[in-house]
Order: sequence, then structure tokens, then C-alpha cells
Amino acid sequence: MILEVKKLQKVYGDKTVVNIEDLQIAAGETVGLVGNNGAGKTTFFRMLLDLIRPTTGEVLSKGENVMQNDNWKNYTASFLDEGFLIDYLTPEEYFIFIGSLHNLSVADVSAYLNQYGEFFNGEILNSGKYIRDFSKGNQVKVGIAAALMQKPEILILDEPFANLDPTTQIRLKNLLKEQAGNMTTFISSHDLNHVTDVCSRIVLVEKGQVIKDFKTDENTLKELENYFSA
Amino acid sequence: MLSTFLSHQRKSFWRSRNRGSSIAGQIVLGFFLLYFFVLAIGAGLSMVHILTYFFPKQDVVKSFNGIILYYFAFDFIMRLQFQELPTLSIIPYLHLKISRSKIIRFLNVKALFSAFNLWPFFIFLPFCFIKIAPAFGAVTTVMYIVTIFSIMVFNNYLVLYIKRKSITNTLYTFVGMLLIGAFAALEYYKVISIMAGSDFVFRAIVAQPLYGFAFTLAAVAIFYINSGFLRKNLYVEELSKKQEKKGSTDYAFLNRFGKVGELAALELKLILRHKRPRSAVIMGFFFLLYGFFFYKEEPINKDAFGQMMFAAIFMTGISIIIYGQFMFAWQSAHFDGILANKIDFKDFIKAKFLLFTIGCTIITLLASFYGFKSPKLLLLHLAAYLYNIGFGTVVVLYLATLNYKRLDINKAASFNYQGTGATQWLLMFPYALTPILMYVPFGILNKPYWGLAVVGIFGLMMLLLRGFWVNYIAKRLEKQRYKIAEGFRE
Repeated sequence: MILEVKKLQKVYGDKTVVNIEDLQIAAGETVGLVGNNGAGKTTFFRMLLDLIRPTTGEVLSKGENVMQNDNWKNYTASFLDEGFLIDYLTPEEYFIFIGSLHNLSVADVSAYLNQYGEFFNGEILNSGKYIRDFSKGNQVKVGIAAALMQKPEILILDEPFANLDPTTQIRLKNLLKEQAGNMTTFISSHDLNHVTDVCSRIVLVEKGQVIKDFKTDENTLKELENYFSA
Repeated sequence: MLSTFLSHQRKSFWRSRNRGSSIAGQIVLGFFLLYFFVLAIGAGLSMVHILTYFFPKQDVVKSFNGIILYYFAFDFIMRLQFQELPTLSIIPYLHLKISRSKIIRFLNVKALFSAFNLWPFFIFLPFCFIKIAPAFGAVTTVMYIVTIFSIMVFNNYLVLYIKRKSITNTLYTFVGMLLIGAFAALEYYKVISIMAGSDFVFRAIVAQPLYGFAFTLAAVAIFYINSGFLRKNLYVEELSKKQEKKGSTDYAFLNRFGKVGELAALELKLILRHKRPRSAVIMGFFFLLYGFFFYKEEPINKDAFGQMMFAAIFMTGISIIIYGQFMFAWQSAHFDGILANKIDFKDFIKAKFLLFTIGCTIITLLASFYGFKSPKLLLLHLAAYLYNIGFGTVVVLYLATLNYKRLDINKAASFNYQGTGATQWLLMFPYALTPILMYVPFGILNKPYWGLAVVGIFGLMMLLLRGFWVNYIAKRLEKQRYKIAEGFRE
């Protein structure tokens, strides 16, 4: 198991925001986290990334508690929100900076970025703007591309499809599908279509608890729609 | 309509989220404002004495006439750098049933609400009543006031026009300052004299008061040019300061430090690309003048370094104190990103140390011009420098791990007390008192140079222990990270 969550709880005051007894994710799985607002998805992701201290329980990445050491950072890339971007840099500077953290040279980074010309739709590179001046959709693109650039074994994205234009949504889906099998992907989404399309497994959460956890098949979308319309 | 606009503005000021929410912050702010007003009024009232002090051989009125144009040249440059374009405030009104001319009038009136339009009254008016009125009579006095007021208005709208029309950047301000400095130097060596020119202009007004209206005409002209421009370009996109094309930068000299240099470069960009830290840095350069107030002949001759220690610590360590007091909060917007990425806490802390050391070194080198005053001051500065980079950095970074207040870095610095907490005010005590307390026993025993040596050696020892401090602070940061990240997310 590449990611294991054990008895993870986060309590704010008298409200339990996340309460996950046990969740195991095998290497290469593509997992979708589905749930309404306030279900605790973002809080859960933040705990996976050691950004919030769990009230109890632990998150194990390759068997090691993410709170104890930083080894997980070597193979985990993530994009949750704009707070992950350093918004006063140009995209190029940001990519080069992120690259340098993984010992990628400037040449490596630009070689990598070249294949993303289509994804960026010509709006990101050489635009002469800082990241903070971009539209939200383009900021998300920068964040996702920077995450993918790290060639992670684990990729964590929080609502990557929100704010993206239709074309890019489809491109992102294809990108994620290509990686299935050799990268463990954990994404959350409100878009049931996309998430069932991309993910091989769906985890449904409500009020911080895992309600359902199942492999996707042709009935999954129906099932989810039924669940949420009830 | 105009009054509605203005009442909205007043509300937006008083209700703004980043206005100091704590009472203490507001009181301090109030005191600062009061202090500056008192200072300006004081300067105005004692103008006669100031002028005779600086220009003893000259008639006071002539000196007064002489400095007016200088003042406004300086005023112009400062406005170019600091005066805000009142543009964003009109966005909510543009789509409503409000005529363009009303909006433009609002923009024009709003532009007058600037501290720059207050100083001239305090600084120049008292002199007009004290000296000009008795000497030349009421008409001339009124024309003096009209002229000064007109030049002020002229500057006000000219700067707005220039800012709207073209790209201004800090470089121009810098060049402008150099130009004024050059003219002052030429003045000093009596090559050309702006003062004489300025005096000539006001003599003319004394001789023929109506000439003063020439400035009024100029002010009215620029007002209409500005309004005309607004009328034709009433789109927020076009009215705001034009965007320069942003390029990527690489600081080669930091590359040799590897990952640490990478992080330091990141922070350097943070400083240079945001108004608030940038103005903090500019402030730091102004504080270089601090020594002129504190380094007096008497303490220098008596080797009373204790009296000058504070100034020396403050001056050479200004970059550490001003920038360091909000440490980590500068990065609050992307602190999650820093934690989630592969960044070693030790590297992160080392980068701060590196940046502080570079900043402090530059300032200390610049401050060495006080060596002309007395070479002893260089020794004092050396001790202060070692203390600052050795121990001051540690104090600041230690306190940084206790700072959980988010800071919105894009907002301007002046009168912005967001992110200010008790930590910031407490910072100065251990920072400034430690070296003074270390020095005092030697001062009493009349061994001033031993005192300096002790402060310097203490700093040096802490510098040699930096490895230890890096580990220690990195550990603290690791422990505090959730709390800090949570505070920064709010």
C-alpha cells in the first residue's frame, strides 16, 4: 500500500470534520474523492500533505508517517489551491523553482514545458505576466503542470476540473488517464462525470466519514447520481 | 452625488479589512499621524530659524523664496513614487446610471485627498503670515498662498496624468532624486542656482502680484487635460497604471549557494515585486540618515559609545529589523506550498540568514560614510554589524516562529497594520537592549573600546554558532508549522 490512512480524525471544537477509520490505496490506483461541500475533502487532503495536524490517527506514505519525516515529499506532488502557487513569480520562474527542488536543470524544465504547449493553449509561457495576474483557470493550469512536472509517484489534486475550460478539462482527463497504473492519483471533484471517467475507484465521503468505497464500472455514475439526488 | 461617493469612500476606509483591527494598533497609528503633523507644523512655525540656520548670510525671504521650487521638485518626485491612482474605486459605479462627468469629478476630487496636499500648508503658510504679510502686505501674501496652492494642485494632477499616460517606475524616481541632488550640488558650488531662479519667480510676484495667477492657469490647464484624458478613456483597464511586461530574472550571484541560494532568490523576488516589502527596504535606506541625529560631536569626542549604540544597531540592522519583524508572514499566501514541497526546513532558515547577512552587509558598507565624521564610528559600526548578523538574525527568526498572523503582501505599507501583533512591538526590546546592557559596565568603568570589543566578539561567536542556531530554529519551525500554516490560511 502506498498510502494508508488509519483512524484519522480532525476535530474543530465539538465538530468532527474528518473521521476516517481505515483507507488503503495501492500503488497505481486512481482514486476519486467525492462529496458535498463541507464533507471534509480539503481538510483530509491537507492532512495527507501534513499541512494540518490530525487530532488523532496517522497518514502513512510508503509505511512512514508523513508527520515524522519528509521522505514523502520526494515522490508526492500536489495542487490544492492558489495558496500553493508563488503568485509573484512568472510561470517560467515558478516552474524553474519547482524543478530545482527536484534537481531539474533549467533545460530539463523547458524541455518538459514544451510538451505542454497544447495544455497551456499558448497563454501561460512568455506571457509577460506574474502568476497573480492570470485568470483562475490559468493559475490552476500552472499548478497542475508544476505538479505533473515533478514526475510524482503520488499526485494529489483538489477539484482540478473546477475553473478549467471544457477543452482543458478533456485534456487533463487524458493526461491523468495516460498516467494510470504508474502513478497513484488522488483527486477530489464535484463533477461526477469526470471523476467516474478518470478514476478506477471512488471514495464517497459525507460529514468526514467514508460512506462508500468501490471500483468504478458502467453503473457507477448512475449510482452516484442516485445517491446525491436522494 | 459627489457626497455619496465620498461617503462610500469613507466607509471603505473605515471598514476595510486590513485596517488595524486592534485598538492598540490604531492608537499607535494615531500617534504617528500626530507626530508627523506636529513635525510639519513645527517646521512651518520655526521656518525663520531653520532658514537663518542654514543660510545665515542671506535675507530670510530670499531663502524662503529659494526653497519653494526645490520643495515642489522633491514633492513631484515623491508623488511619482507614492501617490496612488484613485481608479479602482470607480469600478462599482461604471455600469450604473451615473454620468461620466460625475464619475470624473469624483476621481478628480478624490485625487486631492492625499497627504502630499497637506504638507505645503503646514510648511509654508506660517511663514507667509509671519514674514511676508508684515513686509509686503495682504495682497502679496494672498498671492503667495495662491501660488503655492496652485503649484501643489499642478503637481497633483500632473503626476496623475503622467502615471495614467505612461509607464513610470522606480528607476525614474531614482533618476529624479539624482537630478535634484545634482542641482543641489551645482547650487553649492555656485554653478547654476535653482534657488536664485525660485527667488526670481517670487520676487516677480512681490513686484506684480497678478503674475501668481500664471501658476493657477497652469494648474487649471493640467486639470482640464487630465479630465479630458479621463473622459476619453474611462475604462478601468486603461486608467490604471500601465502594466510593464514582466520578465523572468535570475540572480547569478546566489546560484553558488545551491538550494539555499534558490530560496534566497525567491525571497529577493518577493521583496522586489511587492509594494510593502519594497517600501520597507526603501525606508531602510532613509534610516541611514539616522546617524546625523545621534552622532554628535560631544559623545564622539568622549567615546560615549553607549549613547550611540542604539543608533548604530538600528541603522546597520535596519533590514533585519524591518523585514524580519513580519518574518514568514511575508510568505503567508504560499506557506502551504512551501510546506507541501520538497523544501528542507534547514535550507529555508539558512536562506533567511543568507538574505539578512547580505542586506546587513550592504547597509553597513553604505553607512561607512560616517567614517568621515569620525573613524571611531567605523569601529562602532563593526561591532553593531557583527551583533546584528550574529545575534539579531537569531532573535528575529526565533520570534518569527511565534508569528501566526497572515499578512496581505499586496497592500501598501503605510498605515497598514495588518499582521502586526505584540511580537512586533516586543521585538525591539531584546534586540536593542542586549548590546547596550553588554556595553554599559565597560562604559561605567570608562573602557569604551573594551565594551565595543565585547559586543563585537559576542556577535562573532553567535555567527560561528550559526549552524547550531539554524538547527534550533528549523526544529522550532518544524514544531510550530501547523499553527503557523493555520494562522496564515485565515
